[in-house]
Amino acid sequence: MKIKFTLNQEMIEHEVVPNKTLVKMLREDFDLTGAKEGCGGGECGACTILFNGKPVTSCLMLAVQADGQEITTIEGLSQGNELDELQKTFISTGALQCGYCTPGMILTAKGLLAENPDPTREEIKTALSGNLCRCTGYKRIIEAVEQAAKQYR
Amino acid sequence: MKSFEYFKVKTVAEAIDRLKENPDGSHILNGGTDLVLRMKENHLHPDRIIDIRGIEALSEISFSKEEGLFVGACVPLGEMAHHKSVMEHYSMLADAAELVGSGQIRNVATMTGNLCNASPLADTATPALVLKAIMIVEGLDGEKEIPVNEFFKGVRRTALEKTDLVIGVRIPFEEGLQGSFQKASRRKDVDLSTVCASGVKIGDEYRFALGAVAPTPVRLPQVENFLRGKEINRETMKQALELIENEISPIDDVRSTKEFRIHLAKTLVQRCLEQMA
Repeated sequence: MKIKFTLNQEMIEHEVVPNKTLVKMLREDFDLTGAKEGCGGGECGACTILFNGKPVTSCLMLAVQADGQEITTIEGLSQGNELDELQKTFISTGALQCGYCTPGMILTAKGLLAENPDPTREEIKTALSGNLCRCTGYKRIIEAVEQAAKQYR
Repeated sequence: MKSFEYFKVKTVAEAIDRLKENPDGSHILNGGTDLVLRMKENHLHPDRIIDIRGIEALSEISFSKEEGLFVGACVPLGEMAHHKSVMEHYSMLADAAELVGSGQIRNVATMTGNLCNASPLADTATPALVLKAIMIVEGLDGEKEIPVNEFFKGVRRTALEKTDLVIGVRIPFEEGLQGSFQKASRRKDVDLSTVCASGVKIGDEYRFALGAVAPTPVRLPQVENFLRGKEINRETMKQALELIENEISPIDDVRSTKEFRIHLAKTLVQRCLEQMA
């Protein structure tokens, strides 16, 4: 069926089968491979995207649910060549190693800072509890979010 | 995931019409965080999916002391948990909603969906039971109300007809009510309840409910009757907690043993009592 939605600030009309998940559509049909299907069950957060500005796990949604909605993936976060503050601080603090979880981490943090521009460390940890990292560890990720929050303010 | 027909409906009447066309083969899609997972794992393979997220009227959340709280079927758990009136008058419900899955899930999943899944461990079910929530349902013969204590019929079974659509949950307002939600899980966040519990105290009346200790979330009438009008002290607390074992039928599974669940059930009810003291 045909769906219309905004993808990284661009209006899209797209033909998709109803039994395809949102993450699969983004990766296979649009080549946006930032969102990963890690666990496929809403536990790891690697598939996190922004859905109308809010972080959601795109592996647990159907592509057709995007109809009429606004979607931002990690590929659409920068303004041209200007990286988002969170992308900059993830780089400057060394908050990534293999990078698999990074798009999900950054987009979840983006959702947090939109609602709560001055989060405590505890609030950052809670917000990121649905995003698993298996190599860098969480310390620098939390620091990167703290620093980005300062930059946004 | 098996293929299916997909319908995005705009009104409640349209949803009922679609259900009526094929009651056995149709499934409602709300947030979908549970349904999509179950379809991916081939536990469910409906012929038709009826997406109700486009029905604007179902995204309403409202509160007044006369009418109580109404949470439309499509209000995400995160929005509900952060709603001013929910935090002020139903803080235990906010606490429970905040412990369902991750923030990402709570931006999509709903209380109505959580209750309609009828999982024994649904986190919003025990607050719904002790707060005497009412499911507002639209069916072939118009609107009907199903008190939540008559809603759960078994594991993943509810009192709903196949042509019914839950349009929201109403929770009465009770002046002077104190409540508590407690959850025990293997991991602090983003985990299913090993056991969950809710308690309310209003005047000299107590109400308790437990999740993940029986095929459905359950109230604890023996404990409630025993404590009514009693002063909570060491002795009455001990006697009350001893009654819990009669009222539950936990099982062993991947999250816990039966014995540990009984222990947790007592501990969580005790924590409810302590928080409400």
